Amino acid sequence: MADLRVKLAGIESPNPFWLASAPPTNTGYQVQRAFEAGWGGAVWKTLGDPILNVSSRFAAVNFNGQRVAGFNNIELITDRPLEVNLKEIYETKKRFPNHIIIASLMVEPRQEKWHEIVKRVEDVGVDGLELNFGCPHGMAERGMGAASGQVPELVEKQTFWVKEVAKTPVIVKLTPNITDITVTAEAAVAGGADAISMINTINSLAGVDLDSWNTVPNVAGKGAHGGYCGPAVKPIALNMVAECARSPHINVPISGIGGISNWRDAAEFMLMGSSCVQICTAAMHHGFGIVEDMIDGLSNYLDEKGLASAMDLVGRSVQRYSDWGDLDLNYKVVAQINNDVCINCNKCHIACEDTSHQCIDLYTESGRPMLKVREDDCVGCNLCSIVCPVDGAITMVEKKGLSPMTWNERQALMGQYAPTTILK
Amino acid sequence: MSAYEEAVLEMKNIDSLLDQGYNIVYVHENLSGMFVELKKEEERKSVQLLTADARKYLSIKLSEKAG
Repeated sequence: MADLRVKLAGIESPNPFWLASAPPTNTGYQVQRAFEAGWGGAVWKTLGDPILNVSSRFAAVNFNGQRVAGFNNIELITDRPLEVNLKEIYETKKRFPNHIIIASLMVEPRQEKWHEIVKRVEDVGVDGLELNFGCPHGMAERGMGAASGQVPELVEKQTFWVKEVAKTPVIVKLTPNITDITVTAEAAVAGGADAISMINTINSLAGVDLDSWNTVPNVAGKGAHGGYCGPAVKPIALNMVAECARSPHINVPISGIGGISNWRDAAEFMLMGSSCVQICTAAMHHGFGIVEDMIDGLSNYLDEKGLASAMDLVGRSVQRYSDWGDLDLNYKVVAQINNDVCINCNKCHIACEDTSHQCIDLYTESGRPMLKVREDDCVGCNLCSIVCPVDGAITMVEKKGLSPMTWNERQALMGQYAPTTILK
Repeated sequence: MSAYEEAVLEMKNIDSLLDQGYNIVYVHENLSGMFVELKKEEERKSVQLLTADARKYLSIKLSEKAG
């Protein structure tokens, strides 16, 4: 059986599954129940100056029958006094010494504020600190959270202030509400971060009620943007993790966050460079018990792959992620339709005819409707196989093409034949 | 005519000129496609390639020429 223990910036966790800083980690009662269920770590709901919350706070986006495809919240950081949280952290750590507790922190961008909270939190025995530079709503209006996290200079400076006094590893949690997350990640590294985590939630408005014309959610008829998370954001988060993982300027470990709902999602984030993962929405949707399937699933997967340790998975796909200009222009795949499996719904034909390259022909053979791809005209876009409702009916197969050549290689070559021409 | 058939015609035209001994001396791309200037001794030919596949093909020909 594979060893599920992972290490992030010196923090050793029994498994890679941590609860993210959010409602599930609001109290000692919750975190202790989570540890009993099997979670390896928990990032405590963000500590900072006292705040006040509103009601209502959450909204979900359902899609074609799937509930909570996306999740939106306007809840702020903890509304409980620091002393109460610290007491519960101490008690929880005492009861679960081998489990990881990370304190998420957010204060005004002032050196003395960071020094004070770091010292007080570390005194109760946390395993590490996570600086919340990502919360997009409410706190950002007061200059904290994402407002800090969108300014690389503020990320670097505040990280530096924390590192001046911190004795435990410092994780900087980044906002996705920025054009290029590697810029703020580099700023965190320049400030001395021991690790980075991403993504926090994405600015969002879940919807508008077509009867009342109120926003969803609304507070006495008024709404404000919230933070979006859940399965819908996973591809965005995975890309941001991958971009940081492959950057030669970001040489610290990553804790991946964003729409992770099962062991498969977790494994994908680990393959793309996450040493551990943080989860919130899936736990809010299904409860702490989901971690059992995550542990079993990842363990079985590692065994199947012949990997002795979960850490052996970390980063294995990073080198396969590159720039578009380094992709082979001449690699070719084409669609092939298995008419024995096809149910003749014709979705592939419609999709190809209306929105792609018009290369799927309808014809009749012995009175039976058939579909066939004109392979020479197929550009390998995958659309037909994406819209096909039957597994195995459409397969994308490799075809021998021209010799490999990337766009970057091509442009270098073309430049020799048009040295004074701008070819981009 | 399908896009592939258009590309095949353009690729055959390039092959034909190269087989006749023409050399590619100048390549320029703009909004209208790729313009290829070929030369055989003092004789010059100009070809406009419209299809993406033919433009890829010509890139490979340049690569082969470069060795």
